[in-house]
Amino acid sequence: MARYGMALDYKSCINCKACESACKEENGILLGADKHRIWVGVNDIAGIFPDLSIGSSSFEPSQCQQCDNAPCQEVCPTSATYYDDNGVVRVNPDQCILCTYCMQACPYDARYIDDRTLTVDKCNFCSDTRLANGETTTACQATCPTKVRIFGDLDDPTSEISQVLRDREHYSLKEHLGTKPKLFYLT
Amino acid sequence: MQLSKYLPYNKHTLKSFFSFERTPLNMFMVGLSFALVGMLGFGIIEYLLQGHHAYGVTRQHAWGLLIAMYVFFVVSSTGLCIISSMGHVSNIKAFQIIGRRAIAGAIIMILSGFVVLVFEIGHPVRMVIYNVLTPGFTSAIWWMGTLYGLYLVFIILEFFFLNNENHKYSKIFGLSGLIVGLAAHSNLGAVFGFLVARPIANGVFFPLYFILSAMVTGSYLIFLIYGWRYKMKFPPEVEHMLHTLAKVLGLLLAVLIFFEVWRSLTAVYGGMPERADIAIHMIMGANFLVGEMLLGILIPFTIIIISKGKAIKTMVYASVTGMVGIFFMRYDLVHDTQLAPMLNLKIREYSVAPSLVEYIPTSTEWMISIGALGVSFIMYYTADKFFNLDHKESDIH
Ligand code: SF4
Ligand code: SF4
Ligand code: SF4
Repeated sequence: MARYGMALDYKSCINCKACESACKEENGILLGADKHRIWVGVNDIAGIFPDLSIGSSSFEPSQCQQCDNAPCQEVCPTSATYYDDNGVVRVNPDQCILCTYCMQACPYDARYIDDRTLTVDKCNFCSDTRLANGETTTACQATCPTKVRIFGDLDDPTSEISQVLRDREHYSLKEHLGTKPKLFYLT
Repeated sequence: MQLSKYLPYNKHTLKSFFSFERTPLNMFMVGLSFALVGMLGFGIIEYLLQGHHAYGVTRQHAWGLLIAMYVFFVVSSTGLCIISSMGHVSNIKAFQIIGRRAIAGAIIMILSGFVVLVFEIGHPVRMVIYNVLTPGFTSAIWWMGTLYGLYLVFIILEFFFLNNENHKYSKIFGLSGLIVGLAAHSNLGAVFGFLVARPIANGVFFPLYFILSAMVTGSYLIFLIYGWRYKMKFPPEVEHMLHTLAKVLGLLLAVLIFFEVWRSLTAVYGGMPERADIAIHMIMGANFLVGEMLLGILIPFTIIIISKGKAIKTMVYASVTGMVGIFFMRYDLVHDTQLAPMLNLKIREYSVAPSLVEYIPTSTEWMISIGALGVSFIMYYTADKFFNLDHKESDIH
């Protein structure tokens, strides 16, 4: 059993949105702006011409943080949201009652409603489409032209992600909430 | 086996069931009730055709008017239960006469709340099944739902024994209903209070405030129910009860104002993001100033203070504005909790990232939410017809 996480070398992101498309394609996500498991956050250029701050412009690709202490799992009344053996936070659509409490509780806006099953859906690290087949990559990682994402087992000290997290400074989003995210932004 | 042996009720023919005094006020209420139920029907049809797309809720604002209305109904129910318990559980003499009518109201209110909830929760049947099979013990919604289920059972039994003049059992179930109701209701506050992701809601405030505002709501409803029952010509014991209630309500409102002031100050102080900005937006808004404060608190409070609790007829009217204010409190509670966007950088869904999440209820949401009031009115009429909700000598002991 692994404990999967993802490191993002986010400064390499060029906002091409290939990851968004790849995720939709691979996981059969419905079309529509708010039906997404993954997104690219955009920090606009600040200032008024000609005093523009180019340095303020950056892209912050993100998705479900696969929290180790996930508020969405804690609040789910029917245990539809659960941790699988790989530490991935997942939703069992048969048990989800669509109370959308998890959407209130997730600090990252990582969840949305799948209109086919009428249940809540989110990134599951491609568990159904890739991990289940023995692959150890995700669609968003594989497609990225600038290789922003490093995906792997955090419990394995020899994995690329473990090494990179040892070597490079990194931060996670809203860590102060105690969610223990497994998405790491490399600085 | 005859039902009436176990639960005394009035027998009716269709004609006697539908017969009532044809005063303009009664006719108006009949028209209003049917109009409301008609609205509810339309709303439900819209919902069945389009599902949640008929609602204005979005990914960022997943809870809307229906949740607010559900909260409104269950707050009313718990409030009536608490106020009536002051009589037949705590033995405060003045309130012993309201037991039957208030508990009938509590049952009606929570049932109306469930009517709204069924159209909000995506899979209500699945909810009942997996609430039992795979309970999420860390979920405030699980506790709230389960305890409210239990609460409903207890207050129905309480009503049953009240009707049977069995004061021992009605007291036991009254106390059980009260305790479980308080637990359920503070859990409903915790549904919001537990949200670490939402600094404006997170904390101890909501679980406490829910109990307090339930008592205020219960008091307003008692004024309305009794004003309607006696058409403002109160017998002396009812007048005495309403005088006492007005004084209690005055105190409750003072505490509520105190709560609101300190909540606002602590939220704004220090300028913490997602809390101070939201709080300022909230307390500057008409919903809060006019709806919650003026209608919900200040008008009734001023009347009580000026008349020293004597103006009970005016209080009946003030309870109408009070209940409108309570509605705003519920709506704001749900809406303000979701105002802050969770990730400011995320502009994928927008051309320009909003500073605050927007939500406007659709006509379907209005029709279901407000229409459910019609269900309450009709249930109340029915209960009033079938049961003797008036107090008897034996209620005071
Ligand atoms: S990011 Fe949100 S959806 Fe993902 S595990 Fe954390 S709380 Fe749950
Ligand atoms: S919407 Fe589904 S997954 Fe989310 S908390 Fe409710 S039951 Fe659980
Ligand atoms: S890991 Fe898979 S499911 Fe998650 S965002 Fe990437 S492609 Fe989508």
